[in-house]
Amino acid sequence: MNDSPDLRVDIGGLVLKNPVMTASGTFGYGREFAELVDLQRLGAVVVKGLSLQPSMGNPPPRIAETACGMLNAIGLENVGVEAFVREKLPFLETLSVPVIVNIYGKTVEEYAELAGRLDSVEGVSAVEVNISCPNVKAGGVAFGVDPEAAYTVVREVRLRTARPLIVKLSPNVSDVTKIAEKAVDAGADALSLINTITGMAVDVERRRPKLANVTGGLSGPAVKPVALRMVWEVVKTVNVPVIGIGGIMTAEDALEFLITGAAAVEVGTANFVNPGATMDILDGIEAYLVKHGIEKVTDLIGTLEI
Amino acid sequence: MIDERMEIIGAEPVSTDCYRMTLQAHIGYADARPGQFVMVRIPDGLTPLLRRPFSIHRSRRLSASRTALEILYRVVGKGTRRLAGCRPGDRLDVLGPLGRGFSDPPASGPLFLAAGGMGVAPMVFLADRLCRDEKRRRDIRVFLGGRTAEELLCRDRFEELGLPVVLTTDDGSDGDQCLVTYPIEEQIRLIPPTMIYACGPPGMLSCIAGFADTYGIRVEVSIETLMACGLGACLACAVADRRDRQRYRHACLHGPVFDAREILLP
Repeated sequence: MNDSPDLRVDIGGLVLKNPVMTASGTFGYGREFAELVDLQRLGAVVVKGLSLQPSMGNPPPRIAETACGMLNAIGLENVGVEAFVREKLPFLETLSVPVIVNIYGKTVEEYAELAGRLDSVEGVSAVEVNISCPNVKAGGVAFGVDPEAAYTVVREVRLRTARPLIVKLSPNVSDVTKIAEKAVDAGADALSLINTITGMAVDVERRRPKLANVTGGLSGPAVKPVALRMVWEVVKTVNVPVIGIGGIMTAEDALEFLITGAAAVEVGTANFVNPGATMDILDGIEAYLVKHGIEKVTDLIGTLEI
Repeated sequence: MIDERMEIIGAEPVSTDCYRMTLQAHIGYADARPGQFVMVRIPDGLTPLLRRPFSIHRSRRLSASRTALEILYRVVGKGTRRLAGCRPGDRLDVLGPLGRGFSDPPASGPLFLAAGGMGVAPMVFLADRLCRDEKRRRDIRVFLGGRTAEELLCRDRFEELGLPVVLTTDDGSDGDQCLVTYPIEEQIRLIPPTMIYACGPPGMLSCIAGFADTYGIRVEVSIETLMACGLGACLACAVADRRDRQRYRHACLHGPVFDAREILLP
């Protein structure tokens, strides 16, 4: 048997050299980690969520640490799509790593326009549509909790892009499979989940919320069991690749998602704690495959026995 | 910047709830600038989850390949409480040096170093560096404020450098019973400095930032914010931009030291 297992995975037509990606909003535009991570080794970089216009985000305080997790209400602060293409993308293009652009809009038209704009940009490998941010007033999660709204926004984006289309789902719903099915019906090539879980924390001395936005999104190890359960529900329901996200800190966490049926994973909060987390996870997945004599990572995916 | 597991080579209390910790660090820290910071966590374990930011308190060369990196901190929550339990020989994950430090001083003229409470942490490093230039030593005045005498930390370190130190406390237990900003303003009227470097609570920094406008003095403030990564990725450390209300600055990248005219202090 070959010493290095085949780690390649196919995400709706986009072939990645391995299943380890960065989660949007936790890895900037890649360059922020260039001194600490061998970016070339990543399966893909998913960049900070972009809107048509630059967005300043929410007022601080924007984060609060909770038990084994963190709440954030950044509010999708970003440089806007034009500045991204002009100032951020050229660096990413120097890497031989697929760039997945996460997008969000306040209206269906904004989503469609963004997708159309990026479709003409070389160096964008795929689009991840964020219909699940809990921290922006309009749009965001509004599209992610209503199956019909999700269908509409994904269909409009589908009409404007030929790139692999990933839809990022919200966990803040009673039945995630309903949204998942609608997104696939509308043309999604892959699904990624979960985005953060809506949460809240209170400063008891000041009797005020710890976040200026009052509520925020919970991420980190605390959410992993929820994420895993939702990935399991979705992989049983749809026949497109599913990307697992939620509290992945270690290779073992990532393997849980792969075994459950995720075709790939996105590593998020772990990047804050350990900037080299993606590399450790990648090494750990490879070591696991070698140890178990598994030649291809795709032979592991979805092998969960119930 | 380096993400390194460092050995603790010194850990000592400096008051009832404040500690000084020395770590054996990469030689790269010999080039760290006063005002820069590090992100620290105790390896393994998920509580607390996130790293905590600390100003570099001092950085001294130990050998051709190692630097002694000091941090000064007060126990304020879970993270710092666990840190206070660490002993020499234990190891910590330290990411740094990060952020933008203090600027070089103008070529001549008096320099004020203003520290309130734990704001003294980066000021010791700054004083150390400024005093490398023997000629500038006599230009430097240190203003140290605290709620009580116990909060006036590191006075000895400034005095070892031969710097005059003006003390104030809220309760009059040492120095003058007033805010540290009073003697600073008094001195400004007598001998206006060409630069004020300040670190301390938001109210103190707002007041000193006001001196920049009132007296036309260059003021640099080192601010403290919550942050998760220290790298410009999490964007938690948003600071209001004074000139452009449609954007935030970020303490980890554009700071933690800012020209007082750049930002709106809370």
